[in-house]
Amino acid sequence: MASVAPTFYTNQVQVTDEVANFSPEVVEEMYLHLTKYPPDRKRSALIPLLFVIQRERGYVDNEGVNFLARFLDLEVTDIWETVTFYSMFNLRPVGKHHIQICKTLSCRIIGEPKITEHICNRLGIHVGETTDDEKFTVSLVECLGSCGTAPMMQIGFDYHEDLTTEKVDKLLDSLS
Amino acid sequence: MSTELIKVTINGQEFAVEKGARLIDVCREQAFNIPSFCYYQDLALQASCRMCLVRIEKMPKLQTSCTITCTDGMIVTTQSAEIEKAQRAMGEFLLANHPLDCPVCDRGGECELQEMIFDWGDVEERFVESKNATPEKFLSPIVANDPQRCILCKRCTRVCDEWMGEDAIEAGNRGVNTVIGTYGGWLDCSQCGNCIEVCPTGTLLDGTYRHETRPWELDQTISTDTYSSDGMQLSIGSRGGRVHRIVARDRYVDGLNGEFLDVKARFGHGFVNHEERIKTPLIRYKKGGKLIPTTWDEAIHFVTNKFKESGNNVGVVASPRLTNESIFTLKRFAKEVVGSENYTISDVEDLAPFFNNLSVPLATHKEIRHAKTILLIGGEPEEEQTFTAKQIRQAVRNGGAKLIIVHDTPIRLTAQASQFIHVNPKSLDAFALAFADKSDKTILSKIGAAQSEIDDLLKLIGESEGDFIIMFGRDLSAEAQAVLANVAGNFASEKRRVLLHPLPLYNNSVGANDMMAGRKSLSDVLINSTALLIGGSLSKPSALTDGFLSRKDFIVVQEMFETATTEFADVVLPAASFAETDGTFTNNTGFVQRVRQAVEPVHQAKADWIITSMIAREMGVDFGYNFSAPAAFRTLADSIDAYAGLRYPHLKDESKPVQVKHPIAGKKDLSKETDALRRGVEAMPETNEKIIGTPKVGHKLHRLTTMTSKTAQFHLLAHGNPKPENLLVSPLVQFNLDGTPRVEEKAEAASAGDRISDVKRTAGVTLDGKV
Amino acid sequence: MEIKAIGCEPLQLKRVHLENSHTLKVYQENDGYKWLKKAMEMSPDAIIGEVKASVLRGRGGAGFPTGMKWSFVPKDSPKQKYIVCNADESEPGTFKDRYLMERDPHALIEGMLIAAFALNSQTCYIYTRGEYKYLIDIMDEAVEEARAANLVGKNILGSDFSCEVYTHTGAGAYICGEETALLSSLEGYRGHPRMKPPFPAVEGLYASPTVVNNVETLTAVPQIIEMGGISWRDLGTEKSGGTKLWSVSGHVKKPGVYELPMGYADMERFILEDCGGMLRDDKKLKGVIPGGSSVYIMRANDVIGKKVLMDYEGLVAAGSLVGSGGFIVIDETVDIVDSTKNLTEFYKHESCGWCTPCREGTDWLVKIFNRIAEGNGRPEDAQLILDLCDNIEGKSFCALGDAAAWAIQGAIKRFPEDFKPYLNGQKTTSTEPEARKF
Repeated sequence: MASVAPTFYTNQVQVTDEVANFSPEVVEEMYLHLTKYPPDRKRSALIPLLFVIQRERGYVDNEGVNFLARFLDLEVTDIWETVTFYSMFNLRPVGKHHIQICKTLSCRIIGEPKITEHICNRLGIHVGETTDDEKFTVSLVECLGSCGTAPMMQIGFDYHEDLTTEKVDKLLDSLS
Repeated sequence: MSTELIKVTINGQEFAVEKGARLIDVCREQAFNIPSFCYYQDLALQASCRMCLVRIEKMPKLQTSCTITCTDGMIVTTQSAEIEKAQRAMGEFLLANHPLDCPVCDRGGECELQEMIFDWGDVEERFVESKNATPEKFLSPIVANDPQRCILCKRCTRVCDEWMGEDAIEAGNRGVNTVIGTYGGWLDCSQCGNCIEVCPTGTLLDGTYRHETRPWELDQTISTDTYSSDGMQLSIGSRGGRVHRIVARDRYVDGLNGEFLDVKARFGHGFVNHEERIKTPLIRYKKGGKLIPTTWDEAIHFVTNKFKESGNNVGVVASPRLTNESIFTLKRFAKEVVGSENYTISDVEDLAPFFNNLSVPLATHKEIRHAKTILLIGGEPEEEQTFTAKQIRQAVRNGGAKLIIVHDTPIRLTAQASQFIHVNPKSLDAFALAFADKSDKTILSKIGAAQSEIDDLLKLIGESEGDFIIMFGRDLSAEAQAVLANVAGNFASEKRRVLLHPLPLYNNSVGANDMMAGRKSLSDVLINSTALLIGGSLSKPSALTDGFLSRKDFIVVQEMFETATTEFADVVLPAASFAETDGTFTNNTGFVQRVRQAVEPVHQAKADWIITSMIAREMGVDFGYNFSAPAAFRTLADSIDAYAGLRYPHLKDESKPVQVKHPIAGKKDLSKETDALRRGVEAMPETNEKIIGTPKVGHKLHRLTTMTSKTAQFHLLAHGNPKPENLLVSPLVQFNLDGTPRVEEKAEAASAGDRISDVKRTAGVTLDGKV
Repeated sequence: MEIKAIGCEPLQLKRVHLENSHTLKVYQENDGYKWLKKAMEMSPDAIIGEVKASVLRGRGGAGFPTGMKWSFVPKDSPKQKYIVCNADESEPGTFKDRYLMERDPHALIEGMLIAAFALNSQTCYIYTRGEYKYLIDIMDEAVEEARAANLVGKNILGSDFSCEVYTHTGAGAYICGEETALLSSLEGYRGHPRMKPPFPAVEGLYASPTVVNNVETLTAVPQIIEMGGISWRDLGTEKSGGTKLWSVSGHVKKPGVYELPMGYADMERFILEDCGGMLRDDKKLKGVIPGGSSVYIMRANDVIGKKVLMDYEGLVAAGSLVGSGGFIVIDETVDIVDSTKNLTEFYKHESCGWCTPCREGTDWLVKIFNRIAEGNGRPEDAQLILDLCDNIEGKSFCALGDAAAWAIQGAIKRFPEDFKPYLNGQKTTSTEPEARKF
């Protein structure tokens, strides 16, 4: 038989069995989400709970996934298939402020490229990158439903609309 | 499915089809070829590849024929310019990001994508952009993955879930970035390799066969699995005297198992060409001396002289992994050559109580799939009879069958069960007694089950219609098996057919039982004989430790490897493996299926039945086989009622297996057995401690198998690897490239490592492979 | 940004300008939950009858008659029935639901409760896109307020009708606006659309009968109960009942959410007068995408002087669709190749990857657009693009593939002059900042 010699290993997350710890308040919040769904449909709570994990841990990390797998009686791969489908979940760490600029048509024709360029130049990074101080990550995202107030961006969950370069400067100044 | 017929017009021709039939199946049955990737019979519908588009009148768009059930008066067109354009388009889309590296792809030559494109694709390539690239990788030591080639038919994720119940492989990411994989990129599962089998492209590939040969260079030989009692049909791919791979692809073999195989059947073939195979006959001229290579003539002569000295004190033991021909020839040797009644099977479990008390016929796997009620008492089919487990799973999932499990351990199949009676450890015999004798209420406390659970079970059975299948195996004592086999008939009614399904461990357990009718028990044979002829090694550990073998005057072993048994042998004769012989196995549904020679016997090995008949001839009895397996089979068929009239030509089509009908015994007086059971129950402690926790996937599948008692054949997968200990001990114990075990239980991994290195030194590997 | 009604009394937008309009107090002061009470005095069939009579068509984009959808729910099914509000508003150019939920959350709750009452459902879910986190908080607050007032929960208003309303969050997937994909997502799975049939009305959430309705559809329900189906319908036209919210964005002076009666006459007037005219006076109108990115783009001369009626039939006649009412106005500075490329990227990003044509087709189309933008266009590319669109359209698993195909087909058929230079090898003139290349 031919030798079994893997040539590449990719997509490999360092998988551990460590399980994240959460404060009782957070766990209670998680149980609250569970109450919304029938008892035999716990998996429904997966997406809301992943947001809790992301909020608490900064991103959807291995320990958090292990926690959820136990919490919801799922395999980690079941969580993986769901979590990778949705664009709002980060499987890798992002900056403290995740700047998500809407790039879809209405924003684009009103001036998104200028805003993006301005932000990137100011932070000295490209789209998809994080600043060295791990404060800012810049992403371009698809339509955020703020077309009437274009151009716009979302930092974390906060909407910032009718952007101008001056407004952006002020905003970035205010973020620590 | 009702048998009501309706009319469907396909391409202008009218057909009467069963109501509720799936359009794609109907079209294909009527020879209107329809391409598809994601459609796979008896798996969840996907309708994602969009290849099977047809035009149905009164429907606005082209429809996927895999999702359409036929309705009366439906008018279907499967060939038109519009449909061809759509099919060409889908092919073009699939090829857009598919690397055209067929010359270096292991699937080249047996790739469904290649074939579909050849038949339905376009000549011109319009895609001039660069293709999305993803590096190839390994999902496990035996599953290689090239994500670029993936067309996302998701057959792999579905077989993993629906066949194996493991759900280990899933799709991740979105859109054009979708990939098949797992969290962390490593496949933790039983490594059955079914995902490789059903993959239509070269996305999931056999890591052990990687870049070995092209498929068309292989000789494909249809044969039968040598591990599990399900008798799965497989195709041995061999070239130049080497077995390169084993597959069940439907282009090569169309057996009862479809494309299903398990890890042992698929990957456990490394032993065939293993360097440790016994190369020549070996003689130990002096007790305690060494085994010295010799010639066949010398060895046969030596054996004959010694056996003549022992006269009818020669005992014969056959392993249930041998072919029917070999086992039957060993029995003939005992009866006709040495005139001894001392013949037996080396298996711990005796199927005689089951078959002697059979009150209903055996179920076939197809009947299991379409059963309405299944009662499983003990056993762990998902680990030992994997194909039976798959049929149960699909019966529940796709056929709406009710599964009832009575077990002391919450095995994985309990997830599918509509009722799980969790009994106390080792109380399955007591349950059998309670099941047979409903009047005795005192048993229940020992079992740890409530009366209501038994009532529910009986109610469920009482209300069931259609096929009701009872299956049980080695977890029950001989008496319990006898009782259950005999009471099964009581449940039959006009609306309900009862069938039995035994769960023996070995590939030819049932055949061995049939061949060795009238046998004595293993210990009787070992005690009552002074010399032994053993076909295959003994697996019963006590036989070795009790020192039976060391006290014998003379022992001949027909074996492939040096084993714990051959350490006691005076003569070792090199036997051929299943891949090197012609013969038959009888599976747990009574199917007699062919084993075919794929490669010439290695070195000087010979088939077991040839070896035995050579000794017989030297001793003056010619079995009349003339070195012909068909002749050997004819003799056995003519002397065993259930096999009467069978000849090899009857067995040639693996898609139409022949079931031997085991005689149905009427109701028997089994008071002796029930008394024995009752005594056993009375002796049982009042234990309340139940086993909790579902056993891990593969915990038995990956154990050293007992084809021989010493050389763990499954582990020989590692053969050919420069550093086997570091990379692949078994699929369960996966090692990283740096040599560190990936499995959490380092102890388990370490002991597995010990097994490999110590396997030659340690005598007495147990049935379960524990040292 | 403007939020106002034109050509009719504000119905959907009746309360949005009130102070604290999101509170129960203000809502109830303005006739809130009156119509739930009224509905609970009617028979379920009568409610469905009113909705049918109103010719309310689904406001999410497909325009399927709501009353008919409701009547598909099997009444005798022993299973739990579910009402799911589709607030996964992701269609480019659409933002009406956002303002309805932000400023009038109780109208949505009332609409859902009436639907739940009519369909004998005890559980409602509001599936909101994950980006609208602040709306989920508003809705949660509103539900709690309503619960405290015995409007949600057990024995609503002392009757034997009990109904729970829960919010649920999406996590960034346009496809989850497709109702079956939404249900997959709500069950915690990947947002893949499911096979139809069975339709959600028969086997939806948790394999139970489920009605999935858009926010604007559900907020219209109390109005229909208030006015009666026929009078509500008469606000619009015979085949397109009631009023409709249009989310106006792009090159107009006053973008915003406008409530127009169905059949509002003249799109030209709407753009050039009601929305304040073109953003820059010296730039002329080039085109309009009237119903969210998924519909055919309209040329200016299909609008100017053509008296296009703004309803389902009127827009079909004018060669486009109402869709979700995401009204994107484009002036002559916009390069249609660039805008189409932008939308194609959107569809590629949002394709769920389930079926071949959509997954591979959108990826291929983006590659082609990138190539021609870089100056490597070939004359035959126009035909190639159209053919690929044709190969996607009608063959994909759900409507996302169709939507992508329509957006591109419309552009390439109606603006050939924009494509022509590219097909002859011209490079893009739209400046792409270095940092934006990712």
